Amino acid sequence: MSRRRSSEYWRQIKKDKHVYLLMTPALLLVFVFSYLPLPGLIVAFKDYNIFKGFFGSPWVGLKYIREIFELPAMTQAIWNTLFISLLSVAVCFPAPILLALMLNEVRQKLFKRLSQTLLYLPHFLSWISVVGIAYAFYAVYGPLNDLLLWIFGADTERELFLSNPHFFIPNILLLSLWKDTGWGTIIFLAAIASVDPQLYEAAYLDGAGKLKQAMHVTLPSILPVTMIMLIFQLGHLFQSNFELIYGLQNPFVDMEVISTVIFKQGVQQGAYALSTALGFVQGIVALLLTIGANIVSKKLTSSGIW
Amino acid sequence: MRENGSAYRIFVAFNYTFIGLLSIAALYPYLHTLAVALNDGTDSMLGGITVYPRIPTLENFATLLNDSSIIRASFVSVAQTLGATFLGLVVQFTAGYALTKRQLVGRSALLMYLILPMFISGGLIPTYLLYSKLHLLNNFMVYVLPGAFSFFNVIIIRTYMYTIPSSLEESAKIDGAGEMTILWKVILPLSKPILATIALWSAVGHWNDWTTTLYFVTSGDLHTLQFKLMLMIKESETIARMIQEAIERGETNIDAIVHVTPEAIRAAQVIVTTIPIILVYPFLQKHFIKGVLIGSVKE
Repeated sequence: MSRRRSSEYWRQIKKDKHVYLLMTPALLLVFVFSYLPLPGLIVAFKDYNIFKGFFGSPWVGLKYIREIFELPAMTQAIWNTLFISLLSVAVCFPAPILLALMLNEVRQKLFKRLSQTLLYLPHFLSWISVVGIAYAFYAVYGPLNDLLLWIFGADTERELFLSNPHFFIPNILLLSLWKDTGWGTIIFLAAIASVDPQLYEAAYLDGAGKLKQAMHVTLPSILPVTMIMLIFQLGHLFQSNFELIYGLQNPFVDMEVISTVIFKQGVQQGAYALSTALGFVQGIVALLLTIGANIVSKKLTSSGIW
Repeated sequence: MRENGSAYRIFVAFNYTFIGLLSIAALYPYLHTLAVALNDGTDSMLGGITVYPRIPTLENFATLLNDSSIIRASFVSVAQTLGATFLGLVVQFTAGYALTKRQLVGRSALLMYLILPMFISGGLIPTYLLYSKLHLLNNFMVYVLPGAFSFFNVIIIRTYMYTIPSSLEESAKIDGAGEMTILWKVILPLSKPILATIALWSAVGHWNDWTTTLYFVTSGDLHTLQFKLMLMIKESETIARMIQEAIERGETNIDAIVHVTPEAIRAAQVIVTTIPIILVYPFLQKHFIKGVLIGSVKE
């Protein structure tokens, strides 16, 4: 770097010193809360002892990383996480897109505004409120059971939905759909609205009905947005909705996912090394998945996050 | 568009009906919970409650609101929401403005520094161990400090600030204004809309948070409303104890207590916890949507 260029840099830096000042709160917070925990990952490779601390605890290398793939409780949790995530993507990802396509066809402004207001509402409730609402809804003497009785006759037995292990996963999907489908339409509606109307006209002139127009004009036009959202979903394949799942767990349902195991083993049971190891592997896999999904998306559809 | 065919009319009818049903399905469970909260608990156990209470009573809410731990939890929730949102606004506003300066030396390095944590994170245990060393466990500040910075919010603020014409800054400079004065007197008033959006968004997020309590707090004094709700759902003793204490305090007569069931209390707690959001929601819906759209526009 020539002397002139570096002195120009210095001049600019001095001119902007107030800008750097403005950035310090953010930089500091991020340093303390996002970067400082990182060295803690070393706990995954040590038999952590509170009294001996980070440096005094004995090094055990890949012992706990191996345990993740050997302990049946761990592998079961990993499999459960993957299973629920894949189902979620299959069911909950297309839903907002379909609903957005339908909402786009609603011309009556008042109806559209009113229904959107109602559809966005569940998004603002906390997951634990949703669980609370679900408890009332699925109660033995609640509306869902009342409905069952109304359909199948007064003799049908009332179902204990929440203690039925087979209902656990469908319920997760149902509550996720209820909470986030409406809100999810916002981004897609914006994308759909930005499609050039002339494309529709051209399709119509070529003899395309509404369905064909949707398939050949709308969907391809919203592909970039869709792929970005999908990449995010796939990157989070080994993560799960801790709040929802923890909230729904009860003594009758014995299903764990990675995040609940990390919490229970780590914070509650104090198995720091195992828990950190699991979190560590989960983080690496998530990063690789996001990068991988982005690469595939770019190859197949030439759109991606970066 | 072939919009007068009978096939299209059937589609439209189906569309409106379907969306109408979905909208009702979005609202119904909440109204039902409200009805249970306002209904006599013992009566609810007979079934058949839909969206209105059959035997209306305020007893469920009374039991809840007479419990000092619930009152305390609501104060904690409010303090958490206000504190975290306010700090977040200060931190993210200053950072957003700073990042609009394209001439800043090292700008892309700073952006990298801020964006990297989104991909690499320590995880729960390393965070827990750090908080332990920082004395943030069982400390009210754990509700305020860690959640203050969000990269998305900063980008949204920055995107919005790009639309503020630089001529305004320049003319202020010509009038002799210093940098801080410009920020305070020019940029800040013009940024009010985006700050309102971010503030509301953060506030909802902080109000709804209960995992911070779960992970980092053991002291009952620092429980939030959402956390209390979680306890009522997951631990049946919580409600039983609450009813027992109400009886011991002699505040409600035994006759009324019989009609206050755990299910009714739980429903009432859901309502208490969600009321602020519900009340504020219809007026602020447009702010939230604007925020989502700004955030999704790539520069």
